[in-house]
Amino acid sequence: MIRTLLLGFCQWCNNSFWGHAIRESTWLFPFVEIFHLLALGILGGTILILNLRLMRLAFKTESTAELAAEVKPWMIGSLTVMLISGFLLFSTEAVKMYGNWGFQLKMLFLLLATIYTFTIHRRITLTDDGRFPPALRIFVAVVSLLLWSGVGLGGRALGYITTSVGSVSMLWLR
Amino acid sequence: MFARFLQWLYDTHFSGMMRESLWAEPIVETIHVLTLTLFLGFAVMLDMRLLGVVLKRRRMSEVLAQFNPWLFAGFAVMIVTGVLLFCGDPLSFWSTTFFKVKMIMLALAGLNVLIFNATIGRKVAQWDLDPRTPGQAKIAAVVSLVLWVLIIAAGRGIAYALPPP
Repeated sequence: MIRTLLLGFCQWCNNSFWGHAIRESTWLFPFVEIFHLLALGILGGTILILNLRLMRLAFKTESTAELAAEVKPWMIGSLTVMLISGFLLFSTEAVKMYGNWGFQLKMLFLLLATIYTFTIHRRITLTDDGRFPPALRIFVAVVSLLLWSGVGLGGRALGYITTSVGSVSMLWLR
Repeated sequence: MFARFLQWLYDTHFSGMMRESLWAEPIVETIHVLTLTLFLGFAVMLDMRLLGVVLKRRRMSEVLAQFNPWLFAGFAVMIVTGVLLFCGDPLSFWSTTFFKVKMIMLALAGLNVLIFNATIGRKVAQWDLDPRTPGQAKIAAVVSLVLWVLIIAAGRGIAYALPPP
């Protein structure tokens, strides 16, 4: 049932006017992709800044909460640009992505990383440095880095995986 | 002359390995791209501080001291992985305009950093907490931002312009 819905959604995106437009244009895809890459750079930077601070490897003169407040607009802004540009890029070959396990992994990690960042990670970064033991803070940071790396690696992997249009190789069916 | 060097490079065992190995290029390129995702955010934050947009209550000298080691380390990894990638297919890379443009802009970015450090950067203590950073610092920041955007765009362009293997 879910598979049918997902496939239907992918087909809808594929056939959308933006999917068409970007597919048919010679320059639109790279153009959107560059925004995706730039926003990725900024998002990665903010994630790293916060996690390095949690692990006490850098920026020790500021409290984590203050650092978090400073980078927050950049984190949210870049994540927004990533989601929009990512959706546009996805739409150009949505059905192929449906069958691409690299993409599936990427989306799974993206979901987990985003939820994690705005719940547990947020909680820890906004509390005073002394409230939680250092080991816990380091653990929270490492999990964050692993989850976001998963997104990045999935994104890289999907480029190397070729699937014929419509073929299904859902992760959990293997 | 240079073409001969590129051909020599192409003929080396290492270059062949990079081309023929299933995993060498993907791994090196992944490190290259993911290091960029870590490095760019730092560079943007630093440039934003130079423009007085972010981390305003922190001393400029402190922000520089905190970001610079990571920026240098990240940049070093980018250079090493970049060279490795280039060695894999020197003739193809050199045949694209995007690659040449990217190299020129990288050189300009380096020059921008050198000029900043040699001039206004030396007197950081004087404008450490100024709410309005000096014009020269702002220019350096804008130049840096523009160059990085163009470098990344050119880098992406290379992938499209490369002749098929």
